Amino acid sequence: MTTELGNSTTTELAVSMVGVSKSYKHFQLQNIDFTVERGTVAGLIGPNGAGKSTTMRILMGLVQPGAGSVSVLDKAISSNDAAAKQDIGYFSDDMRLYKPETLSWHMQLVRSLYRDWDDVYAGQLLDRFGLIPQQAIKGLSHGQRVKAMLLLILARRPKLLILDEPTNGLDPVAKHEVITELMRVVEDESRTILYSSHNTQDVEQISDSITFIDRGRVIASSNRDDFLEKWKCIKLHAPESWTLPSVDGVRLESSHRNLHVLSFNQFRGELPVQLQTPGVVIESVESMTLEEIFVSSVIRGRQEG
Amino acid sequence: MNLQAIRILFLKDLFLSRRHLFAYFVAGLAASALACTSNTTLAYVGFVLVLTVAIAAGIHMIGTLMLAETTEQTKLFVMSFPISLLDYSIGKISVVLTTYLIPWTAMFGCLVVATFVMGKQGNVVVLPPIFFFLLCGFMLQLLTAVVSESVGWTICIMVSCNVCLNIFLMKLFADPEVAEVVKSDVLTWPAFVVQIIAVELLLIAASLVIAFLFQTRKRDLV
Repeated sequence: MTTELGNSTTTELAVSMVGVSKSYKHFQLQNIDFTVERGTVAGLIGPNGAGKSTTMRILMGLVQPGAGSVSVLDKAISSNDAAAKQDIGYFSDDMRLYKPETLSWHMQLVRSLYRDWDDVYAGQLLDRFGLIPQQAIKGLSHGQRVKAMLLLILARRPKLLILDEPTNGLDPVAKHEVITELMRVVEDESRTILYSSHNTQDVEQISDSITFIDRGRVIASSNRDDFLEKWKCIKLHAPESWTLPSVDGVRLESSHRNLHVLSFNQFRGELPVQLQTPGVVIESVESMTLEEIFVSSVIRGRQEG
Repeated sequence: MNLQAIRILFLKDLFLSRRHLFAYFVAGLAASALACTSNTTLAYVGFVLVLTVAIAAGIHMIGTLMLAETTEQTKLFVMSFPISLLDYSIGKISVVLTTYLIPWTAMFGCLVVATFVMGKQGNVVVLPPIFFFLLCGFMLQLLTAVVSESVGWTICIMVSCNVCLNIFLMKLFADPEVAEVVKSDVLTWPAFVVQIIAVELLLIAASLVIAFLFQTRKRDLV
């Protein structure tokens, strides 16, 4: 959501993290600067153990950062301030419901704590997800359990959804149902989703902006379309004496005999021409998938230290 | 502080522990009834059962209501609610204490009333120090669970308290003044017993305050 103020343009932020750090014995979240605009879907992609869950727990006030400032929906977040959480729906793959109790019992519990609980919407979600309210949680499959938790979160009508690996371990049908429901949520432009995953396809499907995180550091962050536009891969044939040209953002992805695959994170139209030195034949200039961009970003980030 | 949220959290945990709570309440009353029979062997068995129920109820309630929330990962679900750490701490400590005090009070009350009814008023003198010792042990276990969030450490403190209980009973009944009052039909309070009760009450209050302060000062909630 963008507001015009005279000649300047300001963007309303749903989430803002500035210089956030957190240290554990074997892991450090380092100087995270991260924002999410209101009414958008932001994807947070990182390998296992990259710091996605820690980042999201800091946003929920569940973990206190060692340094930096955190603001969610214009409120500072802390473990002793619960007001902001009224408008946030948080899902984590590590989260569990009470096994002996029914989904209906959980719905009553959540309803009693949230002023915006929507019974009609909860009923619709029960139908769409094929859930039975009288069923005990211990009898649910993993996919049903995830859908039950999403029902409990979505029916509160939160302004911000923080979803930590919601599609992890889901079968393709359940994954489709969950993503379809999230797409319905973002049709309401006032609602924001922050979505983490190590599966780039899920994130690519629904995200407006994407942030890559690895080893506790943000390694790249941009609009999804900018990522796909700026990152290209060039395959070329070159003689043995050929060396990697000094062009900004180039990386040699692979080499097989005289075939070399180069990736560029700041692709410009004139680059193929610049590369065509004597003996060099450009085979193709291709777009990269988000997964390829992610892998290349992680490896570049690790090489840069 | 959100009183409405604390009430909901309290009732939620009370509901989750309803079956265990009922079982310990009934078992406690049955053990107390057995302890009040005129048959010495049955009364002894009943008294041992009273101690067993009190110890088991304590570790069970701490385990299921406090420690299991971490091990079964339901704490993340609860902490995502619009509640502060203070709300959570008040709700959790008060419900664990309540679920223990229900069978504890039932057994204590039952034994005190039965002892008076049976005209053995002197026997009452040992009941408060023993029951406050049990409560003291429970509070230390609760404090350990809050500080360490570890099942192992909490069980370790429970075992230590049980060992100390045996030594405590031996010392209590070995006191000449106590032994004399127990045999008599008139209830008097020896200074030794009053001192023990005072120390126990102090320990209970201190454990409760430390547990609460420690819980509310945690920086990471999950």
